[in-house]
Amino acid sequence: MYDEDQETLAAEYVLGTLSADERERAEALRSLDSGFEATVRQWERRLGELNVMVEAVEPPADVWDKIKTQIGPVETVAETDAPPEQELGSPAGAVAYFPPSIFEPDRSTTAETPAHAPAEPPPMPVAAAPEVGKVERSADVIYLARRVRRWQRAALGIGAIAALLALYVAVWQVAPERIPPQLRPPGAAMLAQTEGSAPMPQDRLVAVLQQEPTAPAFLLTLDTQHRTLIVRRISAKPETGKSYELWLISSRFPGPRSLGVVGSDEFTQRALPANYDADTLRTANFAVSLEPANGSPNGVPTGPVLFTGKAVESIPAPAPAKPTTPRT
Amino acid sequence: MLTQAELVGLLAAVAKRDAAAFERLYEATRAKLYGVLLRILRRPELADEVMQETYFKVWTMADKFDPTVASPITWMVAMGRNRAIDIVRKKGEVSIEEEPEALDVAAETPTPLARREMTEELKRLLSCLGKLDPEKQRIVLLAYYSGWSRDQLAKKLDIPVNTIKTWLRRSLIEVRECMGV
Repeated sequence: MYDEDQETLAAEYVLGTLSADERERAEALRSLDSGFEATVRQWERRLGELNVMVEAVEPPADVWDKIKTQIGPVETVAETDAPPEQELGSPAGAVAYFPPSIFEPDRSTTAETPAHAPAEPPPMPVAAAPEVGKVERSADVIYLARRVRRWQRAALGIGAIAALLALYVAVWQVAPERIPPQLRPPGAAMLAQTEGSAPMPQDRLVAVLQQEPTAPAFLLTLDTQHRTLIVRRISAKPETGKSYELWLISSRFPGPRSLGVVGSDEFTQRALPANYDADTLRTANFAVSLEPANGSPNGVPTGPVLFTGKAVESIPAPAPAKPTTPRT
Repeated sequence: MLTQAELVGLLAAVAKRDAAAFERLYEATRAKLYGVLLRILRRPELADEVMQETYFKVWTMADKFDPTVASPITWMVAMGRNRAIDIVRKKGEVSIEEEPEALDVAAETPTPLARREMTEELKRLLSCLGKLDPEKQRIVLLAYYSGWSRDQLAKKLDIPVNTIKTWLRRSLIEVRECMGV
């Protein structure tokens, strides 16, 4: 099925002429619509021929050194070590699975600040009180899955639902007013505005860690104001005798820096170590590797790096204006 | 100069964590990728950063590379370009080449190759681009090579942004039709 809008969106995405907002939407669509992803790949192939004409320029020698550092020690890995991939099963010619409005900037408030974004993350289950948190969470997840099925127009594989949820969760956690009212979980209280200052846009960073655009596996939320790190495991499962370890990779450090073992529970929350400033976090790459049960024995990744991602601000910079009251 | 088949072989070895193959792949492809990135980013330190990120992705995602869908260089350059354009788009209104540290680029679009140096696919693309009006051709090439936004194109060519948008859409559809599926 030839959709001219999708075709030109993919073409302009590859060409590079989309605006930042449009690019984000196109990237999300790549993750969720395998037909769109295929169209993007076609345009990359078509226009990529133009690369032949670009003059080659030798990069500085230290670029290779930095690449080698990022990769860390290398050992050949048997294929059985990798966790099972989520297939993105969708029929050929699949169409968009969600109302485009979920990604559109809220036009009614363009002149106003989404300043009532929560200063605290929503209640996350921490080690102390897993029971209550778990019940709430599974209820939300089941609710979201039902909602997803209601407005999708084609069958989705688990990978696509996970990707949708990752996006939904990311938006819900940091900018709930951007979720259209009919998609908000019922009974979930709008997070109360605290007395403290609303987080500045650059305080809240979100990273989706994935192997490829179609199967995000970890959602990372960094609050640089409150210095917390929350890792949500979405689709990957830890194998017995193994664990996942989170790494920060930055040109400011000679090698990958461990942020600890993650993912044994669905949520892992911990404080951010003091030696990573906001700027480092904003520019770093994050990666998750498969390690022995208690993490790497020697402070560098010893197992395969399975998921990578980069953090982005999840709240747009506010325009200087009064905040709106939350819609219910 | 490595052939397509050799590059595909190297990528397959990289997927199996062959560090020597990865180094050979880097040696064979680094200058082309760096050239592409420098044209868009205009700052060596930014190009260095995107080089690192891109090759890291190549290392971690080599097993996802499908030779039936793309050539190794297209795949790698697409990843690098995407990231480079993300960076320049987020910089917003200030045009990257207006920054004082920005490099000059000898020409906004590369000098033409001799026809014998071109691949068949490139010849086809250029002939389809050649069917567009010269101004539309220029817009497409400037966008691809220099990573200019619609706003920058509008400003530099003194054409309204909406016209740029319409022209881009039409030109890309015409190119697609000309090249066949």
